[in-house]
Amino acid sequence: MTPLTFTLQSEPEERLDLSGLTPDRLAGMTSAEIGKLRVGTSRHPAAAGDVFKITGKDAENIVFAGGSGRFDFLGAEMTAGRIRVAGDVGARAGRRMAGGLLKIEGKAGLQAGSGMKNGRIDIDGDAGEGVGGPMAGEIHGMSGGLIVVRGKAGDRPGERMRRGIIALLKGCGDHAGLGMVAGTIVATGRVGRYPGHLMKRGSLLFDRRPAELSPTFIDCGRVEIGFPVLFDRYLMEEGILDRPLLGARPFRFGGDNAVLGKGEIMFARG
Amino acid sequence: MVAWIGSRTVPLSAAIEQAAKLLATSRCPVFSLDSDIHGCRSLIALAERVGATYDHVHGRDLVHEVALHTDIGGFFATATEVRRRADLVAIVGDVPPVHHDLLSSLAATGPDLAGKGRRRWYQIEGRAASAGGRRPLRGPKAVRVGSPDLPVDAVLGILRASLSGKKVSATFANADAFLGALAKARFPVFVVSHLTDVPALAMLQGLLADINRTQRATALFLPSDDDAWGMVLASTWMTGFPPRTGFSTGAPVYDPWLCDVDRMIAQKEADLHVWVSERDEAPPARRGGPPTIALVRGERPVAGAAATIRIGKAGLDHDGVVYSSRIGTLRSVPAEAPSDLPSVRAVVDQFQHALTGQDMPC
Repeated sequence: MTPLTFTLQSEPEERLDLSGLTPDRLAGMTSAEIGKLRVGTSRHPAAAGDVFKITGKDAENIVFAGGSGRFDFLGAEMTAGRIRVAGDVGARAGRRMAGGLLKIEGKAGLQAGSGMKNGRIDIDGDAGEGVGGPMAGEIHGMSGGLIVVRGKAGDRPGERMRRGIIALLKGCGDHAGLGMVAGTIVATGRVGRYPGHLMKRGSLLFDRRPAELSPTFIDCGRVEIGFPVLFDRYLMEEGILDRPLLGARPFRFGGDNAVLGKGEIMFARG
Repeated sequence: MVAWIGSRTVPLSAAIEQAAKLLATSRCPVFSLDSDIHGCRSLIALAERVGATYDHVHGRDLVHEVALHTDIGGFFATATEVRRRADLVAIVGDVPPVHHDLLSSLAATGPDLAGKGRRRWYQIEGRAASAGGRRPLRGPKAVRVGSPDLPVDAVLGILRASLSGKKVSATFANADAFLGALAKARFPVFVVSHLTDVPALAMLQGLLADINRTQRATALFLPSDDDAWGMVLASTWMTGFPPRTGFSTGAPVYDPWLCDVDRMIAQKEADLHVWVSERDEAPPARRGGPPTIALVRGERPVAGAAATIRIGKAGLDHDGVVYSSRIGTLRSVPAEAPSDLPSVRAVVDQFQHALTGQDMPC
């Protein structure tokens, strides 16, 4: 079967909430039924058929031909299947996603993977602030799954995350892992100020020493433990990196001592 | 002269009719508000009626203060309780000059319910956030704690780690003296205002939580703009949410990013802007922006506005109700120089009547 394809007709006049266009929600629906689904968010909201030309039948494999910074909540709460977006997306792509693969070939807006529970998000371009973070009023961010950003990420990636892995391959803004409870953030490239601020547990793994570390992190020297080698192997097997990130004897800082102090920042080069 | 359509003077009823027409046909209206409690309530009710998104005129500053409550939460007291109980006051970061009189009055009194009538003052400070540097504090003489080399969140972090006996990699002036005084205090209070850095707010509230394991401590939050904070309270009791809330789907949706009115206008999502300011502030000029309905105090029409209506100010032209951080609640303000200029509430009532033929429910 050919993938269920949503071809963007023109730049939408309003922000779109695309949380309804996921494999599990569209299973068993005809194109005509899908076309009537409301996606607009204004007083006179557009239906899916007003914005997209809908072709194909395989709802397990969805393609958005053309993207827009106004595509919000794309892949939200999806539990299985695959969505590929040939273009940019707006805020909170993969929000509370619980399974499947979301592939974004352009940029992602604010809080991609917010509150994500499982599955995988691949973003080829840059990502906005708060990758994997919580929405306003929520206690925790991401609680599982994998997010790979091949461009640069904004401030506060992995804020208050509990589990899961975030890989940022061209660095990120300030406060990576802010208030992190557990989980792992990998970053290659420049990392902004105070990574790991207020983190309780978890690991921040970098390819270089961060420019500005909080004074509540303590230098533990170079460590010889099994975890870095094992994790390097995982990153290469998953196709996230093509060479080891940390090596056998990375530098390690422990903190944040302002809170529990059981987190760590490791990096290969001093 | 109280109303204009474009730059043409018209009777108030004609401007109301024009504004109602724009409101009725708009696909994505946005409101920027700055009024007293009555004005805000009527505007939020109108926003609900027409499916609009609203924010305060100074929403960019307000959003951080709201985040302190929505994202972090914490320990808070009123100024009255602080006056009677606080035997140690620690001012965190800068306090806007508008609150210096309150601090002076606290300095002139002692706590009668704790600490043998004596109050000790500290100022926790870090690297100045703005290029203009730090504004000097009028009033109490406080012992300075901190370092100009570290941001205030790092200073608070070091205090918090030291309090629980954990190691840190930097220190600064008067840290031990402050921690010693904190251990002896019966009711320490941290005064915070205009702290726009969310990590610093989170660190402060974490520090308070740590102190409260063994003794009592709290924070006195002084909003940088009392009128704006009044609008936050009105919005919260009417919709369940603070500003940056929208009604485009019928039910209120709070989202500090999606409902950022400035962003919505800049990204051409909004097709009508209602600007209401009782403070002589005109809407920022925007080339190619949406049509604007302006409710302002000025004696001239707002350049580029589709309709301008002149309004009075609560507490000057007519009676009103505003928030006061000094008492931690709302207070009435009588008109100082009563005039015939209509209140925001009166104008919005007329919008409502023009839209539906009915008066506002509140």
